[in-house]
Amino acid sequence: MHEYSLALSLLESLRTRLAEDPVRGRVKKVHLRQGELLVLSRDALREAWALVTEGTELAGSELVIEMVPVRVKCPACGYGGDAKYLAAEGWHVRVPVLSCPRCGARVDIVEGRDLAVVALTVEEGVETG
Amino acid sequence: MHEIRVGFGDILKKQLELAGENYELLNGHGVRAFNVMGAIGSGKTTLILRLAESLRRRGLRVGAVAGDVAGDEDFRRFREAGLPAANINTGDECHLDAHRVHHALEDLPLGELDVLFIENVGNLVCPADFPLGTEMDLVVISVTEGDDMVRKHPKIFAQTDVMVINKVDLAEVVGVDPQRLMADYRTVNPHGIAILTDAKNGRGIEELLSALGF
Repeated sequence: MHEYSLALSLLESLRTRLAEDPVRGRVKKVHLRQGELLVLSRDALREAWALVTEGTELAGSELVIEMVPVRVKCPACGYGGDAKYLAAEGWHVRVPVLSCPRCGARVDIVEGRDLAVVALTVEEGVETG
Repeated sequence: MHEIRVGFGDILKKQLELAGENYELLNGHGVRAFNVMGAIGSGKTTLILRLAESLRRRGLRVGAVAGDVAGDEDFRRFREAGLPAANINTGDECHLDAHRVHHALEDLPLGELDVLFIENVGNLVCPADFPLGTEMDLVVISVTEGDDMVRKHPKIFAQTDVMVINKVDLAEVVGVDPQRLMADYRTVNPHGIAILTDAKNGRGIEELLSALGF
């Protein structure tokens, strides 16, 4: 539901970046990392991307989204690493549990809320624009 | 074709930074703020009014922010109850974000407040992705929505400090066992606190205030 506005922010920041530092060729793929704490729908984000890029130099580019597991740090025992995920049956999505896998204390989130562009795949010889 | 690493960063990071600024602003004025998320019609506004009533009896100064897609119904209820209040209409958005809340804070007499309740847009999905800079996050549901709400929206419950199950007076009528919701909540969030309330009749309000640190 907030995918459309995030797609717009993404487009805005990517275009700003491309204006400062142009790439030679047409952008075919935009590689994103999405933290698994986010409720965001990947399908909706891809659909929104197709809509907001229409008529821009990024039209026709594909969003490739890699999910990033949640990483945590435990203030009680010092554990740092992957979060525990709910393993029980009957839960339909991967649910990170913010509890230390080692000692059970409440953990701080280190990674898992991000939505970041990490790379672009560019087709050489075809100019952007 | 070739790949270019760009890594210009996180588009949600700005939201986190703005939330941090809100937290500093509120903290600087000595205001304890609470993000009240929850389902549509779960009783968020009534709950906030009850909490405010009790806190004001203890001599605390309470304000409220009403967040809705459109309209000022909740805002007017806060004002009629005598609370300094601000209204946020998100227009096309399904959640409040730190930027919108920042503007609402500019409209409030923060120096004359001890506590601020920010009522988020009724929605169990999107608000989870947008921290506001509050001290604690609450999620409010009511028994009338069914006993599978935690299973349907696990991520918001996994990240929230307190879950309120409201309208418990209707549990029997609608055939919902609040214990099932509480068990699911403990599974996704072993550190969260679950409180049963009947806000309309004032039940559970003191327990909730104590969970919020009052």
